[in-house]
Amino acid sequence: MPDMNARLTRSSWIARITFLEAIRQRFFAFLLVLSAAMVVSSVSFRFMDFGHSELKFVADFAFGGMFLFGSVLALVMTAQLFFAEIDNRTALTLLAKPLSRTEFLLGKFLGTWAVLGVFVFSLAFLQGVILWSRTQELIVLAAETGRVAPDFSVSGLAAFAVLQWFRLGVVAAMVLMVSAVARTFLFAVIVGAMAIVAGQLQWLAQEALLKPSDANALTKGLLWLSSRVIPNLQQFNIGDTLVLDPTAISGDAVWSVVLSGFFYLVAFLALASLAFRRREI
Amino acid sequence: MTATSAISVQGLTKDFRVGLRGLKLRAVDNLTLEIPRGQVFGLLGPNGCGKSTTLKIVLGLVPATTGTISILGSPSATAEARKRTGFLPEAPYFHKFLTGRELVEYCARLSGVPADKVTAAVEASLELAAMTEAANRPIGTYSKGMLQRIGLAQAIVHDPELVILDEPTAGVDPVGSAAIGRMIHAMRAKGKTIVLCSHLLGQVEQVCDRVAIMDRGRLVLEGRVDEVLAQRDRHVITVEALSPAARAAAEAALAAHGATVSSITHPRRSLEDLFRELVTGSRDA
Repeated sequence: MPDMNARLTRSSWIARITFLEAIRQRFFAFLLVLSAAMVVSSVSFRFMDFGHSELKFVADFAFGGMFLFGSVLALVMTAQLFFAEIDNRTALTLLAKPLSRTEFLLGKFLGTWAVLGVFVFSLAFLQGVILWSRTQELIVLAAETGRVAPDFSVSGLAAFAVLQWFRLGVVAAMVLMVSAVARTFLFAVIVGAMAIVAGQLQWLAQEALLKPSDANALTKGLLWLSSRVIPNLQQFNIGDTLVLDPTAISGDAVWSVVLSGFFYLVAFLALASLAFRRREI
Repeated sequence: MTATSAISVQGLTKDFRVGLRGLKLRAVDNLTLEIPRGQVFGLLGPNGCGKSTTLKIVLGLVPATTGTISILGSPSATAEARKRTGFLPEAPYFHKFLTGRELVEYCARLSGVPADKVTAAVEASLELAAMTEAANRPIGTYSKGMLQRIGLAQAIVHDPELVILDEPTAGVDPVGSAAIGRMIHAMRAKGKTIVLCSHLLGQVEQVCDRVAIMDRGRLVLEGRVDEVLAQRDRHVITVEALSPAARAAAEAALAAHGATVSSITHPRRSLEDLFRELVTGSRDA
């Protein structure tokens, strides 16, 4: 147990320095401001609601910003923070200490995930303020016109923020795994981006498997493998249901998404650790 | 491996694969080396001779192709071995936003210094590296000499038995270089083993007890500094107030005993000594 404490202490120090390094980056500030602007401006674009309720449009618009810029942030920042240690040779100093490579990677991941948490929870808070403010206006309007006043769930928004944080954690772990074997930052970013796209489209493989078809065994095998190896990143995008119609989704369903995210996160970190073990620093 | 070895390297070979066809480049070729404890050991050689690769393999940063290495009796590349080892890499780079004190504390935590002893350990290593005054400045504002000294402080903060210094005086002026030399002496006085990789042969000669010279991945010479440098068939006599008559008489006396005087010159002090004497007031702190 003291050994485990020492390991966690070392990883937490790597995470702490990684967090401090990341939070100072202009890239992080730029994406946070851009995403915040998107959340705030969502109210201005509500006339483009395509027939949906106004709050749904506002929520979807902001979720889209969080999803898009969060993915870019997780992809670029994870690869950048990893390669900065390798290219600047700070890893040489750190790994010459009684620090295992798994502890180092875990620390890098936790530091990055913490920054992604700052990103997601700040935007979720801002979105909560925007939704609350617009809801108040709509309640007054509804009273005047005699329509049903709209509402949104604060706990649903919090649950969605946690889900998004896990989704970005899965992306960060995936990119870290790619970075552990990649030789260059650019390669890690390109392959990481392809992995994110594959994750977004993974549900297609799952659907194809469920449908009866005359596909050959090889195709079915590949579909099965894709549906197991690649995480389904779409399953985290249940924000509008959680926020606007929380009764439509069970707590068990939310927990199963969280557990699935946690499983992929741990699996990718384990693979990253294996790949990094024999890398020449 | 002997019980007194700080580092024992047996039959170490390292091949790198280069290019798409995976051509083999041999960086270290069947190296066997014993570095005794409590001494300052100089590892010398031209660029690309395999010194840094050897040190990286010793520290577990690069895997060996073949061969076995142990540090202070423990197999190399284990965290246990690195607990008792400190390392200053060549041209060290640290996070610029940290202050010197924060960096050394960070390294103390990673090196397993108990929480209640971190402050004392940090202050002691900063003092030894003469960095106490500049410790609260961000590393981004440090000069090259200060970077090397803060690098040395982070390497010794956990009081390691073995300290490996890769080019500790590269790019440092003679005053800073002499300061690092004094730190090495201070560490040796505490019983530490120091492995020094350097191109500054004058400094190596001054601070090292033993040296090894590598070339093209192979060990070409190893031994005590005074033994490998001594010319046993020649002698130096330093004389003050030597008159021409006394000099002629001395030469005649030596010739009578069959000795030949090869040269008679005035002793010189080194340019480094002269420089240090003239600029002792200017420190880069």
